Amino acid sequence: MSRTRFASEHRWVYIGAIVILLAMVVIGLIQFRSVKQNNDTYAKAQELSKELVAAGYPAPDIDVVEQLLGTDGGAVCEDPGSTLKRALWNVQQLSNGATGPGQRPVIGDTRAVELERIVLQVYCPDKVDEFDEDIDDLDTRETVKR
Amino acid sequence: MSSMDVPADATPPGAARSETRTAVDRPGIPTITWVTLALMTTASVASLRAAPTMAVYGLACVFLYLVPAIVFLLPTALVSAELASGWSGGVYRWVSEGLSKPLGFLAVWCQFAMTIFYYPSLLAFVASTIAYVIDPSLASNGVYTAIVIMVLYWTGVWVSSRGTKALAGLSSWGLVIGTLVPGTILVVLGMVFLAQGNPSAAPMNADHLLPQWTGLASLVLIVNNFLSYSGMEMNAVHVSSLKDPAKEYPKSMFLAMGLVLLIFILPALAISWVVPADQLSLTAGVMQAFDAFFAYFDVGWMTPIAAVMLISASLAGMLTWLAGPSKGLLEISRQEGYLPPFLQKLNKYGIQQNILVTQGVVTSVIALMYALIPNVSSVYWIFSTITTQVYLIVYLLMFVAAMRLRKNKPDHPRGYRVPMLGLVCTTGLLASLAALGIGFVPPSQFGGGSVIAYVLFIACGLFVLGLLIPWLFLKFRKPGWRTAAAESTGDPS
Repeated sequence: MSRTRFASEHRWVYIGAIVILLAMVVIGLIQFRSVKQNNDTYAKAQELSKELVAAGYPAPDIDVVEQLLGTDGGAVCEDPGSTLKRALWNVQQLSNGATGPGQRPVIGDTRAVELERIVLQVYCPDKVDEFDEDIDDLDTRETVKR
Repeated sequence: MSSMDVPADATPPGAARSETRTAVDRPGIPTITWVTLALMTTASVASLRAAPTMAVYGLACVFLYLVPAIVFLLPTALVSAELASGWSGGVYRWVSEGLSKPLGFLAVWCQFAMTIFYYPSLLAFVASTIAYVIDPSLASNGVYTAIVIMVLYWTGVWVSSRGTKALAGLSSWGLVIGTLVPGTILVVLGMVFLAQGNPSAAPMNADHLLPQWTGLASLVLIVNNFLSYSGMEMNAVHVSSLKDPAKEYPKSMFLAMGLVLLIFILPALAISWVVPADQLSLTAGVMQAFDAFFAYFDVGWMTPIAAVMLISASLAGMLTWLAGPSKGLLEISRQEGYLPPFLQKLNKYGIQQNILVTQGVVTSVIALMYALIPNVSSVYWIFSTITTQVYLIVYLLMFVAAMRLRKNKPDHPRGYRVPMLGLVCTTGLLASLAALGIGFVPPSQFGGGSVIAYVLFIACGLFVLGLLIPWLFLKFRKPGWRTAAAESTGDPS
């Protein structure tokens, strides 16, 4: 088959895929709002930094924390107890390094879970109980060398 | 690079294509190049999804990927290169020739069954990433997730049913756009970060070459990482689509192996240079971790673009998995009559459309339960573990078959011969057994449950999905189900 005939046979599949992906990029760029840093985001980031240092962790980069968590904790505080998200988190965050069907849960790092809890305490304390309930029976160990 | 640059079809223009006239029946008709096949293989195994997760381990992520590469990826790639260069058709043919036909069916069944629980979790990830781009609040909406899973899955079935060439092109471009380009950007930005005189966030000294040792937990992490490379042999089922399979398939495997290693290791390392492990732990998901990375360079606007790229890579991976195992299942079923004739029917492109549709119905039901019923989604990962256990049966059979074939058919022409095959197969076999064994160790999520209950659950799942169901197919098959001649699988050599 010539290149032309092949291309014409599957032209709409390719054009469709390109159009959908480009549309998503455009929507993403319009919708994506990087957090505007202000006094409130700075105060929250400082508070988080203080809590982390008090818990024995190194101080994070304030600028990045501001951009990531804003004043409301961003994605970390968005329904941390929801079942679907929990299921995704369980398999995707505490898993091995596979990205195909070999993805499998492992015994996760204790401090990763602790850190998320500290973020919740600072940014959305009302979600902490729900989170604690979810992670109550998680078996974690210190698997990351720091 | 793409499948477009090779002669694609021997059917004369205007000639009607018979429903049964397929690539299976026309071995040796080249439809894809070896580079395209390498990209398909890479797309089915590697993506950037795990990069932030592995970046947390810092320099040790090199160890966590290299050791499994030596004991599992290398044996799998080498052995499948030898087998595919001698016998076309994929694992079913290799195990059938090396051991027995029923075991060949078992191998391809296990490869096929494993994918059923893979699609919902993969597509749920895609759904959450699309939500991240459009409206993050959608991510926790079960109905939205269910709709996205269904639409994407059935679109994938439609694309797959249009033939190998269509999916080869899409999966190759998906890999380039969704993995190679953003992976390169991550690595370049990481190097710029270091070149600017910034110290690496993760210590890059000899003390951090090995991961933290905490006994069983570390062993679980290391051994489970063997599975990062599962699927390297899957695309061997398309070997008859190559111009010169005996020479081209091994080349394809070596290229794929190099790409997979680079994609897994370098981006994870680059993220670990820039974002400290503790800060990665502050993020709620893969995209937030990428956001943290881009935030350092004040290019936060790149995050949604990276998200769309990741989506395209995930969909490319799904396409290869849709087409590969089901094609293998079809081929052995047509020759040996292991499946009812309905499931053996082909569409005008010679694709196993009815198997894809049946698989689609089962996957849709699981996906709906996964997305809509809370209690199902919370135990979903247990089924993911069971299916990876089932997949390991494929490797056990493949390595044993390779040794048997070298011993019993030493003179059979092969385009490539693995040096020290016995040692290579034994290494792969032991690695697979270790991964199978470690699958019985409860992960974090089962911390509060009974270990015995967990082991029994996994063992029962392994037995039912991996042994009982294929045995029932064999037991109840009928002679009339055999619809294709055995000679349809010609040797590539």
